[in-house]
Amino acid sequence: MAQGRRIKSPEGNPFERGKQVRFQFEGRSLQGYDHEPLAVALMAAGVRVFGRSLKYHRPRGPVCLHGHCSGCLMRVNGVANIRTCETPCRSGMVVERQTGWPSAGLDFFRAVDLLSGERLDHHGMFTASSVLNRIAGYVVRKLSGLGAPPTADPQTPVPISRFSSDAVVIGAGAAGLSAAKTLSGCGHNVVLLEAEEHRGGRLLDGATQNGWERIRDFKEEIESVAGIEIHVKTPALAVYPGDTLQVVAGNEGKTFWISARRLIVCTGTYEQIPLFENNDLPGIFGPRAMDRLVCGYSVVPAEPVLVVGERDATLRLAGRLRELNVTLAGVVTTRTEGDALTSLKRKNVEIFQDRRIVRALGGKWLDRVELAHRSSEQSDLVLDCRACVVEAPPAPAYELAHHAGCRVSFSSQSGYLVQVNDEGQTTHGQIFAAGHIAGSDSVDAAAQSGERAGLACALSLKDDAQVRRRLESMQKG
Amino acid sequence: MGRTIVCRCEDVTVEDLNQAFSEGYRDLESLKRYTGFSTGFCQGKCCTAHAARFLSALKGGDDTVADPIRTRPLLHPTPASHFARAVELLDEESK
Ligand code: FES
Repeated sequence: MAQGRRIKSPEGNPFERGKQVRFQFEGRSLQGYDHEPLAVALMAAGVRVFGRSLKYHRPRGPVCLHGHCSGCLMRVNGVANIRTCETPCRSGMVVERQTGWPSAGLDFFRAVDLLSGERLDHHGMFTASSVLNRIAGYVVRKLSGLGAPPTADPQTPVPISRFSSDAVVIGAGAAGLSAAKTLSGCGHNVVLLEAEEHRGGRLLDGATQNGWERIRDFKEEIESVAGIEIHVKTPALAVYPGDTLQVVAGNEGKTFWISARRLIVCTGTYEQIPLFENNDLPGIFGPRAMDRLVCGYSVVPAEPVLVVGERDATLRLAGRLRELNVTLAGVVTTRTEGDALTSLKRKNVEIFQDRRIVRALGGKWLDRVELAHRSSEQSDLVLDCRACVVEAPPAPAYELAHHAGCRVSFSSQSGYLVQVNDEGQTTHGQIFAAGHIAGSDSVDAAAQSGERAGLACALSLKDDAQVRRRLESMQKG
Repeated sequence: MGRTIVCRCEDVTVEDLNQAFSEGYRDLESLKRYTGFSTGFCQGKCCTAHAARFLSALKGGDDTVADPIRTRPLLHPTPASHFARAVELLDEESK
């Protein structure tokens, strides 16, 4: 089993590893750290296939490392479907893969993928006789599904904390932090909910913020947010409209049921992998996942790494990987200019221009990638790489606003954006949206839109001449 | 077998979407119901935008066809133990 590589964690890294612990993985004792997610420790130990897909039993592995996909699910301490990218290593933990037969590593039912041709169409299957149908249903459930029922003791009911608040802000990234800060500065009480363990969102992306220095500054700013009730590791789960908005959120030990007069949604985007053949092969990550893995958790899953993308942030990630002495297979981009590209060339990173990725190849993990010229379907270049970072078009996390009936609009370029007016107000008067879900395209723009929405939200709660002036001067500037 | 996966939770491929489209499922909600994309563990976070872009491209770049699918709580799969107390709580409040 090829190991991942642990690199030295740079100073100022908000993702310190913590203390060494040992846990059990399918009968082996593996090492991890108590501030490190299981998925990261497993990749460092060389575990590559985390599970198998439902229908074709294709290998699956972590993709997003931000708790959005389903690639990292495993059975932990007798409970199925635990997101290992969000679960810290604990000493004595028992971790197993939950899909595949006899195991996720060697799954005989991969034959379904290899033998079923272009499509396995379940619409016309099992319709002949009801007896056969029932047997087929039983077999299919055994083969696919999401793990066996828990063997752990039943969970005790989680206490529910019910209270009201002037405003709830969902998401503690650049937009959410400045919205919450602004609102509380205007004298309103604010509950800030963050799904991840750390506040910061994109501010925590090591490479895309010009390295650790900028992170340190931001960290101070994040820490300076006072007088706000902040709950981390507490994803918002639902928003119900009404006279007052009902916001439901939950963490391991508590469920929150908050009646809020106003809501500011700053949930950012989901990272996706673009569409090309075998885009689901383990070893293919989005830029922010790779950033978190290498720059945050200091684990290089496999090398060499190929980086594919156009955005400055993606190119800067490639540069950061090079600085951290990660072996690069090169950078594929259609960009021809820009500081980020120049700096890559200066670092002697090989650039493959005018090409795009058409196919990934490998058995259980990425082996190589085929590229084609922009104008052609035919691949004309094969690159060896064991990890690939690919950027995809944006996918804003619009759902919570949509729950409450806010209008959402689609464009191929931006994905689903929550519709807002100049002040960040959605079509539901009590709900505001800021940051990437409302169309910001950078951390700075997100922070600004958060402030604007915070001011407008504060004004809608209580008229105040000073706040009004601040908002007006922001609108002009 | 080479496949381009749109929805990795439910193994829905580009071919599946093409097939559904040619069978007449030409809005996002019907496409979803027919192919099952966005109905898996991640609840559509990794595939809905892909499917919307795909549909818009098939319709010659018409973005208006991709009205969002109905989103429903909860946003993430959550153990039932998180809500077991809610009934008790409401009972107490109504007393
Ligand atoms: S949810 Fe854990 S890697 Fe995506």
